Amino acid sequence: MMLAFILLGALAIVGGVITIAAKNAVHASLGLVGTLLCVAGLFATLNASFLAATQVIVYAGAVMVLFLFVIMLLNANQPVTERDPVPYVRELAGIGGTLLAGAFVVLAFTFKDPRPLAEGAEALRGGSALVMGETLLTRFLLPFEAVSILLLVAIVGAVALVQRPAAQPDGVPDELEEPVGAPQEERRQVPRGAAPALMQTRGAQDGEVRA
Amino acid sequence: MVPTTSYLALSGILFALGMIGVLTRRTAIMVFLSVELMLNAANLALVAFARSWGDPTGQTAVFIVMTLAAAEVAIGLAIIVAIFRKRETTNVDDLAALKG
Repeated sequence: MMLAFILLGALAIVGGVITIAAKNAVHASLGLVGTLLCVAGLFATLNASFLAATQVIVYAGAVMVLFLFVIMLLNANQPVTERDPVPYVRELAGIGGTLLAGAFVVLAFTFKDPRPLAEGAEALRGGSALVMGETLLTRFLLPFEAVSILLLVAIVGAVALVQRPAAQPDGVPDELEEPVGAPQEERRQVPRGAAPALMQTRGAQDGEVRA
Repeated sequence: MVPTTSYLALSGILFALGMIGVLTRRTAIMVFLSVELMLNAANLALVAFARSWGDPTGQTAVFIVMTLAAAEVAIGLAIIVAIFRKRETTNVDDLAALKG
């Protein structure tokens, strides 16, 4: 048990360091996937088997796929700038983070368990879906219903936010429509393979097409 | 059995790592990734407390936090995509139109 904790904990910290230090955003998200999987393993060692499964499915699965999808959609896998807006922000953040971690560790060691650990682990009954469901549908009933409304709002909001603005009355978005009076005969003569080059050198396009 | 303090210390370290990421990364997506790291650190502490008290309330709270985080990611990434379409950047320093 101790060995599992040390291994998973060390891997989680390594994944976290990759997340905050990797230049490439895809590498950073893969580091976070590693951390999330390790945290799922730690949940399993804490008698929370249902949460461990949920962590893998929801976090390491759905959420990270969404992240990778957006990173690739925005082509944001390279760092935007090396310039820091605040001087020494990295050094200051490093010092602050170290101090915060130190404070948390000191605080953690002041914690005393209110009852023997084995007894508490026994009371959780493995943290199965049965135990969670009992709590969720009795004491957490109102948050449960509120969260379901929140998820609905999130779905509608996400769709509304990324919607393309103002389609034409005919239902075809502006950028897909043919420009009025476009020389359609010339377009057909362009060979398919030449399309990217033509897009780059727009000036040379007309000459090549006519030749 | 691993003591609760070890889990809490690990949770604190992960939280601090996430905070460093939020402060130093310049892309909105990377800031979001770091926030996810912080949320997970808090979840780990909650689950450790749940075992310590032998009460599944902590685990249920983590379940709700996970749902909230998923909703937050969906909305946040949609906002980032919308901003990127308008401004062609997700650099948080360039998105300071509401500053001051």
